[in-house]
Amino acid sequence: MEPLINVNKLNLFYGSFQALKNVSMTIPEKAITAFIGPSGCGKSTLLRTLNRMNDMIPGTRIEGQLLIGGTDIYSNEVDVETLRKKVGMVFQQPNPFPKSIYDNVAYGPRLHGITNKKQLDELVETSLKKAALWEEVKDHLKRSALSISGGQQQRLCIARALAVEPDILLMDEATSALDPISTLKIEELVQELKDNYTIVMVTHNMHQAARVSNQTVFFLNGEVVEFSETEKLFSNPSDQRTEDYISGRFG
Amino acid sequence: MMTVRKEFDQGLQQLHQLVVEMGNFVETALQESIEALKKVDIERAKIVIDKDPSLNSLEEQITLIGSKLIVTQQPVAKDLRRILSAFKIASDLERMGDLSVDIAKIVLRIEGQSLIKPLIDLPRMAEIVQLMTYEAIQSFIHEDVDLAYKMAKDDDQVDALYGQITRELFTLMLENPRNIAQAQLLSIVSRVLERYGDHATNIGESVVYLVTGNRPDLNV
Repeated sequence: MEPLINVNKLNLFYGSFQALKNVSMTIPEKAITAFIGPSGCGKSTLLRTLNRMNDMIPGTRIEGQLLIGGTDIYSNEVDVETLRKKVGMVFQQPNPFPKSIYDNVAYGPRLHGITNKKQLDELVETSLKKAALWEEVKDHLKRSALSISGGQQQRLCIARALAVEPDILLMDEATSALDPISTLKIEELVQELKDNYTIVMVTHNMHQAARVSNQTVFFLNGEVVEFSETEKLFSNPSDQRTEDYISGRFG
Repeated sequence: MMTVRKEFDQGLQQLHQLVVEMGNFVETALQESIEALKKVDIERAKIVIDKDPSLNSLEEQITLIGSKLIVTQQPVAKDLRRILSAFKIASDLERMGDLSVDIAKIVLRIEGQSLIKPLIDLPRMAEIVQLMTYEAIQSFIHEDVDLAYKMAKDDDQVDALYGQITRELFTLMLENPRNIAQAQLLSIVSRVLERYGDHATNIGESVVYLVTGNRPDLNV
């Protein structure tokens, strides 16, 4: 597996509070990497630095380097819109636009200049298929996205993210608002997607990390405590703090 | 550090105690079966046989509690290894109990006969495997990897005695064909004790697995 994301001595401050402390890691391509750790440990912060979502938070300051495909994404030459096209994101609460299912998926491609109806139709269909939602919605694409279930809405958000053909998919607690069956569907979907995308997920559900991911990173107080193969981290972690956290002794 | 897993820890503690209880049971059963053999004491042998079902039920309890913990607590890392090693050790101890029963049954088969030779090496062998069992259980209680390795080394003596006893009994059979029936039974006892040592060594392996996450082969 080639490393796609390289984090190098990254420090992040929200005002005077340091949320990430000297974080370095290499996230491999076409695999699922899970970030775990107690609330406030920095896992979501790091996830959001990967497509510069933190830019919108006033008082955020970053030191160190974050390379994606060899490019420092915080350098002045990088266009944030292009970066976010390459690095898609799915959030905790499904957040479809109050538009039709079709328009939700076509939104990104249209924004990036695709107007050809046939081309858009194809993109919508393949994206919905990749998100394992096509069969359920193909007969009512004009229906409002808000009329489908929460689990379907979340898969629609994944389809929307995939429609702009990203390389990386970030998932921030993407199943925590869903019922167990919808959660399993998303987990299965993520497993399929990893053949073509690099996936980084933040989860509070340790067993989800254990079930789904290839690598797991354990964060504590803004630092990376352990970055291991998932099986190793959950069966025989190297650090006592990892063991205590995954065994439910704190957090 | 606050602990938020009272029920889980209680369950693991219960498993631990049951394993220790099985260990004590097995040590006594071996001692009694060898005493019964030395004196061809039928009553003592029968007690060993009659008590064995309660050892089996201890193993069943370990299976039940361990399965329940897996289902309800979704254990990981060392918690999971605690449960898996309890299963494995319980299964070794259950077999060791059966081996003591095998010795007791041999006592019943030589009822009424006098021994073809004074038993010296067999009780010595039994003493070593008894010590091995004790040390295996101690290494489990204290999670003492060094003791587990030391105990496994004693198995070499057991294997050496096994060879020696086999040769001696073979000579006795050659000397007098009327010795053959009993010599065969005594040779089974030595084989049983040799197996017993292997199970103690297995327990040592489980202790190393519990502590380190790696399963070495101590039986070499």
